[in-house]
Amino acid sequence: MPRYAMVIDQRRCVACMACVVACKRENDVPEEHFRTRVVEVIEGEFPKLRMELRSELCNHCDNAPCVSNCPTGASHHSEDGTVQINRTKCVGCKACVAACPYNARYMDPEVGFADKCTFCEHRLKEGKEPACVATCIGKSRIFGDLDDPKSNVSMILKEHDAHVLLKEAGTEPKVYYIKKFGKAV
Amino acid sequence: MGITRRDFLKYTGLASASAGVAGVPYFKSVMAMGTKPEKEATYVNTFCEICFWNCGAVAKVVDGKVVKLEGQPGNPASKGKLCARGNAGMGSLYDPDRLKTPMLNVGKRGEPKWKKVSWDEALTFIAGKMAKIKETYGPEAVSLISHGTGGSFWKELLYAYGSHNYTAPSFAQCRGPRDIGYLVTFGAAPGSPEQIDMGNSKFIVLIGSHLGENAHNSQVQDFVDGISKGAKLLVVDPRFSIAAGKANWWLPIRPGTDMALLLAWINVIVNEELYDREYIGKYAMGLNELKAEVAQYTPEWAAQETDIPAATIVATAREMARYKPGVVIHPGRHTAWYGDDTQRGRAMAILTALLGAWGREGGNFFPTKEKGTIAPYPNIPALPEPEKPNLTGSWPYALEATTTAMRATTISGDPYPVKGWLVYGSNIMKTMPNQKETIEALRKLDLVVVVDIMPFEHIDWADVVLPEATYLERYDDIKVGKGKSLMYAIRQPVVQPMFESKPSWWIVKELSRKMGLEAYFPWKDMEENIKTRLEAAGVSFEELKKKGTIGFPDTAKPFITADNEPEFGTDSGKIELYSKALKDKGFDPVPKYTRPEMPPSGYFRLIYGRSPLHTFSRTTNNQWLAELYGENVLWLSARKAQSLGLKNGEYVVLENQDGAKSNKIKVKATERIREDCVYMVHGFGNRSKDLTRAYNKGADDQSLITRYAVDPLMGGTGMRVNFVKIVKEA
Amino acid sequence: MEITITGANALTYPHMHVWDWRIAVYLFLGGITAGLLVMSAIANLRKSKMVEADKACCVKGPMLAPFILAVGMFFIMLDVERKFNSFWFFLSFQPLSPMSWGAWGVGLIIPVSFLYGLSVVPAEMKGWLRFDVLKKLSDRLNPHMRILAKINFGLGIFLGIYTGILLSAFVARPLWNSSVLPVLFLTSALSTGAALAIILAKRSAVKLFFTKIDIWLLSAEIVAIVLFFYGHYTSTAPQRASIMPFFSFSSEYFWYGTSILLISILLPLALVMKLMEVKEEHGENLSQSALMKMKLSAVMVLIGGFIIRLAFVYAGQLSSLGGGVAGL
Ligand SMILES: Nc1nc2c(c(=O)[nH]1)N[C@H]1C(S)=C(S)[C@@H](COP(=O)(O)OP(=O)(O)OC[C@H]3O[C@@H](n4cnc5c(=O)[nH]c(N)nc54)[C@H](O)[C@@H]3O)O[C@H]1N2
Ligand SMILES: Nc1nc2c(c(=O)[nH]1)N[C@H]1C(S)=C(S)[C@@H](COP(=O)(O)OP(=O)(O)OC[C@H]3O[C@@H](n4cnc5c(=O)[nH]c(N)nc54)[C@H](O)[C@@H]3O)O[C@H]1N2
Ligand code: SF4
Ligand code: SF4
Ligand code: SF4
Ligand code: SF4
Ligand code: SF4
Ligand SMILES: [Mo]
Repeated sequence: MPRYAMVIDQRRCVACMACVVACKRENDVPEEHFRTRVVEVIEGEFPKLRMELRSELCNHCDNAPCVSNCPTGASHHSEDGTVQINRTKCVGCKACVAACPYNARYMDPEVGFADKCTFCEHRLKEGKEPACVATCIGKSRIFGDLDDPKSNVSMILKEHDAHVLLKEAGTEPKVYYIKKFGKAV
Repeated sequence: MGITRRDFLKYTGLASASAGVAGVPYFKSVMAMGTKPEKEATYVNTFCEICFWNCGAVAKVVDGKVVKLEGQPGNPASKGKLCARGNAGMGSLYDPDRLKTPMLNVGKRGEPKWKKVSWDEALTFIAGKMAKIKETYGPEAVSLISHGTGGSFWKELLYAYGSHNYTAPSFAQCRGPRDIGYLVTFGAAPGSPEQIDMGNSKFIVLIGSHLGENAHNSQVQDFVDGISKGAKLLVVDPRFSIAAGKANWWLPIRPGTDMALLLAWINVIVNEELYDREYIGKYAMGLNELKAEVAQYTPEWAAQETDIPAATIVATAREMARYKPGVVIHPGRHTAWYGDDTQRGRAMAILTALLGAWGREGGNFFPTKEKGTIAPYPNIPALPEPEKPNLTGSWPYALEATTTAMRATTISGDPYPVKGWLVYGSNIMKTMPNQKETIEALRKLDLVVVVDIMPFEHIDWADVVLPEATYLERYDDIKVGKGKSLMYAIRQPVVQPMFESKPSWWIVKELSRKMGLEAYFPWKDMEENIKTRLEAAGVSFEELKKKGTIGFPDTAKPFITADNEPEFGTDSGKIELYSKALKDKGFDPVPKYTRPEMPPSGYFRLIYGRSPLHTFSRTTNNQWLAELYGENVLWLSARKAQSLGLKNGEYVVLENQDGAKSNKIKVKATERIREDCVYMVHGFGNRSKDLTRAYNKGADDQSLITRYAVDPLMGGTGMRVNFVKIVKEA
Repeated sequence: MEITITGANALTYPHMHVWDWRIAVYLFLGGITAGLLVMSAIANLRKSKMVEADKACCVKGPMLAPFILAVGMFFIMLDVERKFNSFWFFLSFQPLSPMSWGAWGVGLIIPVSFLYGLSVVPAEMKGWLRFDVLKKLSDRLNPHMRILAKINFGLGIFLGIYTGILLSAFVARPLWNSSVLPVLFLTSALSTGAALAIILAKRSAVKLFFTKIDIWLLSAEIVAIVLFFYGHYTSTAPQRASIMPFFSFSSEYFWYGTSILLISILLPLALVMKLMEVKEEHGENLSQSALMKMKLSAVMVLIGGFIIRLAFVYAGQLSSLGGGVAGL
């Protein structure tokens, strides 16, 4: 069994939003709802500015509070280490939404189940990369199997100091970030 | 089921071979929990038309609906990816506000009353009017404004009718100035897509060019590849653009003074002899004249003009010279800024030449010299020669009739009357500066035909509106791409046209019959046309359909080598640092700086640009783009906002120097912009009530661009010459 | 710092709002139930001079408890998005999910407290039970009142703590994520339970008895509130930021400021009133004014308790580990 993970090379992100739209179409995400987003952070004062571009999505945490807080087992870990939602079991209590430190979830406005990024499970089964990765204009999003030492994510993580978001939450995310700032000077 | 990088690559290879197989069933896996039954998906190749990069795309169709669009791996414009807008392409196909039937305006121009009519009625009406105009004024009295692939059919019709007054906003409002600047210098334009080797560059200079926000797909990919491989990046922009956020040097220049910076850079490079001596010696002429002319443009002087410290100017000049010749001076694309734009383009070309970057790896590459084998359809009669010159205005370097000259002539009747406009794929209210002038011209016309897919505000000025099928529903001409190597791409219908919309090839063919010009369109339909021409060229139609794109990598000869010596299409056959041709025509042979007018106190210069989520106005009603960026905002220096008592998110109205007022727009108080200008994304503030999502959202930069600076060489319309003040009540 | 987010969900940006007053009502009613069960158990287990041995002195409380909890349950069902799916709550038990504990707990407490309620019904009140089955059941249960009281004491404590743990388990929400919160909610549950018991009780001795207990509980609650805010103030940046809505007194946070103001008036005032009540000399029958005062202070405790639930449910959702922005 693989253990899927994503590495986000922030220096390669250009805030083009292709990932955001691709995800919406691939997963038929309801209007005004999103599984991934792009955050632009500007620090400093004109003209000494610094920009961080960060795309965010579900971290498929190893220690996922959304899973532990789910009263029905609807939110669960799949064998491949991803966090998935069994829609039939979901009662729509929203505990998982409140539990996620990354605000990665939303409630389906029509049927009322919790939803979020699936790492494009259905595409993985077809041997394709997640939609956001496939279309990433900056090749900022990199996807692969942590258990395979030769996978691109394993290699990149070996070579770079990666960090995760809100490490202090203890969630053990599987979305890693490298090269936080684009600026070299 | 471990997926390794190799597997992914395998998939990519596989996809290029089979994903495009139109009609081959492909089973979609079950949704996360299997609530949805398995549905068959088909994949059809086409190319995108949400902007003119025309990326190769694969459309996934389920139940007869386009559910997903992806990049074709083998296509050089997409490289397997689509930008945000391309990903949302089906938004224009399924826009409920689309134009659905041909319509006749039975009210007044500008205050239309629409009557739905049949195609036959609409086309008969147009043919009748055009016959009358030809009879009374001659064929050149009809002109075409066209932006988009389907415009090629309309151009053919226009030429067959006898007029060469074909205009495109992509010249005078877009890349015309820089094309001429490079043409004068190198004898060749920098190309579209720009022939720059950013992926292998050591040093990239962006002047304006806001890559990332400007989302020209493969170009942005190359840009990111370049900087991740370690290329140094220098961005000149009054605004901290996304690209500036990645830059080693961000020079927040005083808007309108780029020429001073360029000339000072040239000054340093020439005086310190940092240029590529061998290259210049071999390929260029006029170095001494250049040196003499730029002597006055010292870094200290430029610092005063540009608000960039002299030391920075010197340091950056040395730095780019250090990495020569692998330097990309991005030629820019939308360059109709201040009226001196062709000369600014020339200064950029000269800088490129000094660094020896033209024809060098990591600099500018040569496009393939291969012409391609696709010939016109056989047995098309010779086109009539126009009797009168086309409307290039008084500008010697206007290579084609320009939108603005055509508009001016329509108003003045000089040198001859213009009585009919065919408007294809261009929202002329948003595209051309000074809307009042456009309206004045429109009122003088006997015929206004708009061919469009959406009811943007310009249709209000039409007599006839023709609903075109969107790019996902039609054939268009074969795309012949000439980047490093030659490529052919196909556009084919992914789904059948909705409503009564029709592709341009069909409309034009039908219209030609009514105009007695059917001999020029002898093919049965576009499929037959493409097939015939491809087969004559030895390319399989079926294969192109299957693959979407066929490339010929061995046609590339991108860089100067011993057996690939460059040719320069200039008078001297060399790179002209000094241009005698310009001097003979009464222009500066070496670019000179003239200080642009600066905003009076209390006013800001209005500048504008792109959102990665929109293409001009055309996407503003797209469901999947509007939900992410539904209205534009006014970038205003945080300090200025504070002193004006304006809060982030507050609505304001802008008023320009001529008293023109904008729609209301939200303030974005930010550190990311200079204090002397305000910025907004172009394309918003749509006034058509038929646009459910876009109506009245945000402000229209064009409504504030009541004046423009005309480029004396080629008639480009500099549009960053307007000043606005902020009126609080909104 | 300027932050621009493209693709944020309204549910979580600019701040999360998944739960509203319905959850607050649920927590409040759950708390009251817990308090009623615990208070009545104490009263009924105490060797009392007021009633004969093995007879309950506190009757209405236990009888009402399951119904109050059921109403609370009704409110949480109002909040759940897929009501027809709620049987899934009971098709699995998730040991790490407080909500699963809650579902099973409430599912257990309603019937068990109902039995307890039946067991306290004295002979003269059996008429209330209407149905013969119930009367018979009540007769059978009367002798087991003490054991049922003990069980319900335990369940009451569990329920009271649970209402706090439900929120405090969310690491993601720094305002809630505190071990003081369950203590605070428990003390508040008990004090509101005692308050309701005071209102319900007929005999002045019982009323006074609960008043005395409530003095301790209220004091504990006030200490817990102070400790809670002190703890957050001296903790990590997100925790410190999370209590700011209560103390910023800006128009944006008007209701949070108001709630903390109300709590800090109502609870101490009720405490003082109660202190005065127990100091006064009371006969077998309370005077009209003494009765009024007792009811008033009890109502103040109830209102205070409800405000605490409301304020915490809402304010907790404003807080986030990323310091208040959805993008972290
Ligand atoms: N997403 C998206 N991408 C597009 C398009 C689109 O519609 N949407 N359109 C495409 C087309 S047709 C074109 S022509 C291009 C246009 O895109 P570009 O060619 O990149 O346009 P510019 O006008 O060079 O760039 C706009 C930038 O110039 C800065 N600027 C303003 N005034 C000045 C100045 O005086 N000096 C300098 N140095 N900078 C200045 C602005 O702050 C802004 O960041 O984009 C193409 N790409
Ligand atoms: N103020 C200001 N003016 C500008 C610019 C700016 O940044 N600011 N940018 C300039 C530049 S660089 C350019 S290239 C031009 C762009 O100018 P245009 O290309 O004219 O831009 P749009 O406003 O997008 O208008 C496009 C029209 O084409 C229609 N359309 C879209 N798809 C199709 C189709 O498939 N078939 C047909 N028949 N119609 C279609 C749309 O509905 C819309 O009405 O504008 C120029 N003008
Ligand atoms: S990011 Fe949030 S939703 Fe995703 S696994 Fe972690 S806690 Fe759960
Ligand atoms: S909303 Fe659904 S997935 Fe989320 S915790 Fe409740 S039952 Fe589980
Ligand atoms: S992996 Fe799939 S579901 Fe997750 S953000 Fe990317 S596209 Fe969306
Ligand atoms: S597609 Fe890639 S580069 Fe573009 S915004 Fe998303 S992560 Fe960044
Ligand atoms: S750059 Fe984007 S919008 Fe333009 S053609 Fe390519 S995918 Fe379409
Ligand atoms: Mo353009």
